[in-house]
Amino acid sequence: MTAIRLDGLTKRFGDFTALRAMDLDIRDGEFMALLGPSGCGKSTTMNMIAGMEEPSGGRILFDGRDMTGVPMSRRGVGFVFQNYAIFTHMTVRQNLAYGPKMHGLPAHEIERRVKAVADLLQLTAFLDRPSAKLSVNILQRLAIGRSAIIEPAIFLLDEPLSNVDAAFRAVMRTELKHLQRQFRQTMVYVTHDQLEAMTMADRIAVMDQGVLQQVGTPLGVYNNPANVFVARFIGSPGMNLFRGRLAESDRGLVVDLGSLGVTPPLPDQLSAVARRLSGGEVFYGFRPEEVSVSAEGQGIRLPVTFVERIGARTIVHFGAGEAALKAVFDNDVGLSAGETAVIAANEKTVRLFDLATGLAIGSA
Amino acid sequence: MSVSATTKVRAGSSASAAAARSERGDREGRRLGLALTLPAQLLVLFIAAFPLLMQAYISLTDWSPLDGIGWWQAWELWNSFANYTDLASDTRFWNALWRTAVVMGICVPAEFLLGLGLAILFMDEFAGKRIFYSVLLVPMMVVPAVAGYMFFMLFQSGGPVNDILSTLAGTRVSVAWLSDPNLALLAVIVADIWQWTPLMFLILLAGLVGVPEDQLKAATLLGASWWQRFVTIVLPRMKAIIVIALAIRVIENFKIFDTLYIMTGGGPGVATETISVYIYKLTTQDLIWGYVAAIALAILIALSLLAAFAIKRMAAAGKEAP
Repeated sequence: MTAIRLDGLTKRFGDFTALRAMDLDIRDGEFMALLGPSGCGKSTTMNMIAGMEEPSGGRILFDGRDMTGVPMSRRGVGFVFQNYAIFTHMTVRQNLAYGPKMHGLPAHEIERRVKAVADLLQLTAFLDRPSAKLSVNILQRLAIGRSAIIEPAIFLLDEPLSNVDAAFRAVMRTELKHLQRQFRQTMVYVTHDQLEAMTMADRIAVMDQGVLQQVGTPLGVYNNPANVFVARFIGSPGMNLFRGRLAESDRGLVVDLGSLGVTPPLPDQLSAVARRLSGGEVFYGFRPEEVSVSAEGQGIRLPVTFVERIGARTIVHFGAGEAALKAVFDNDVGLSAGETAVIAANEKTVRLFDLATGLAIGSA
Repeated sequence: MSVSATTKVRAGSSASAAAARSERGDREGRRLGLALTLPAQLLVLFIAAFPLLMQAYISLTDWSPLDGIGWWQAWELWNSFANYTDLASDTRFWNALWRTAVVMGICVPAEFLLGLGLAILFMDEFAGKRIFYSVLLVPMMVVPAVAGYMFFMLFQSGGPVNDILSTLAGTRVSVAWLSDPNLALLAVIVADIWQWTPLMFLILLAGLVGVPEDQLKAATLLGASWWQRFVTIVLPRMKAIIVIALAIRVIENFKIFDTLYIMTGGGPGVATETISVYIYKLTTQDLIWGYVAAIALAILIALSLLAAFAIKRMAAAGKEAP
């Protein structure tokens, strides 16, 4: 059990900066997800924590101990690879016994640990099978077991579910979360799939282009995105964002959405914060889930351009000038492409972002 | 598994109806196939089976081209298995076979270890890697006859090898490499290692590159040292390719001839006479072709058995490490 601290961690490959001065505290026993699109630096961060790559700047601390220069074989890090990296020329038992053997543990101790881990992960029935032809969920358990058996302080998981088909991914997610509760170990989980991050992680670190954007609980990140990137990236589909200008009116502070031709008012708390800021250019944002069809005169009339049916839900795309507005409705919504509809966003869930900096204004 | 089983059941019901039709079609197809491949089959028969049968036939006679009768009349000189019984007591043959084994026993392991060592070095990045890579492959490209002449010159009493040794020793060294029975064999071995280590290197490098990097990293994270990784991950993964590399060199080395013949001619005396050289001399100087056929056939059978064994091992190794 170990807390990890990243202190101004930086990685450059030649002229390219893969990771820029990242500060992050991962608590003891926490499940932290590093989430971001490919190329955001999440895997680089993980590789540096594991010691596979040297940082170009900054430090990595395990429980306050500087890890710079400690080789990866001595960091006490368990690593689950994207493809699991199972030693396919060995049996399940040999895979599990590999770590203890390399650490020079006595034979009876190796046997005891293999038995314990196999029991815990329900691998006992497979112990003497060759590992080459096992199914993917057993491989995942084996990969975790092989790392867990040397009792690492930290577990790092590099997109372990990306090779699994969608139906099975849900099963694996549940299983993985269950395993983490059993081991009670600090886990860092790299993924580009927000569903994985949201369902499993205690906290999520959202990254983009080598810069840490926001750290928070899954709901915190979803409800209160720190900036425009997080707002667009989290949620499926992401938040609707429209350019607007703050203006005073007899209804209080409103946002003039210009081309859309509406000036929705702001909730009191948000107006209070927004009023203090100079300049009036903002992004007006609201979640597609917070959009509803309303009566004439109480919203914006927009043409439906596309209807995406995903079972329980229906995503409706509206043409809104140059931008598109997306809304998520129940599947019985009576809209089809070519029609127009009057829609309105739930005022209470509206978020404002500074147009210049992209940062969130206030927080609800 | 279950899917293919149901398909088969379904296919079974309609199969009887289609059976008669497809059987006639099969027969016609087979006849057409035979007609189309007949020329090629005849050619293969002519270049592979015919010489082999001819060799087996001649090996049971005392036939020689000097006898003045065609080989097909060799039955007139029929000697049953006399050639083969002679072979068993031919000490020159057994000595040549032993010498071939000695050369192989030194050359192949040396080429393997050098090739493996170089391949491991080439897994890392270093300055001038590309140039070294090209230079390393040059010996393999040199025509063996040219290589033979090159080493013939190098190992002359007044040649560069002695010059270098003289410089190192500080006094004039003049070893008669190619006229000393033991040193001549050594010189021949050095030449073979020089020429064929690159091939080993190339094959083994391909094998090393194929070892999954993730598994090596996983092993490192589990605390394995370089040597432990090499023994537990790299070697098992390369088993198949190592067997192939060794098989190629064992078979090739057994037939060692061109470089050696140009360097020593099998001499001094018979000191470097390997199987190929012995057969060559019997063929061109003694002209006892019935006996030559018997030796060649015996060796062919022995080598085929060896190759079959190696291939079997290879298949087994391949199954273990997919």
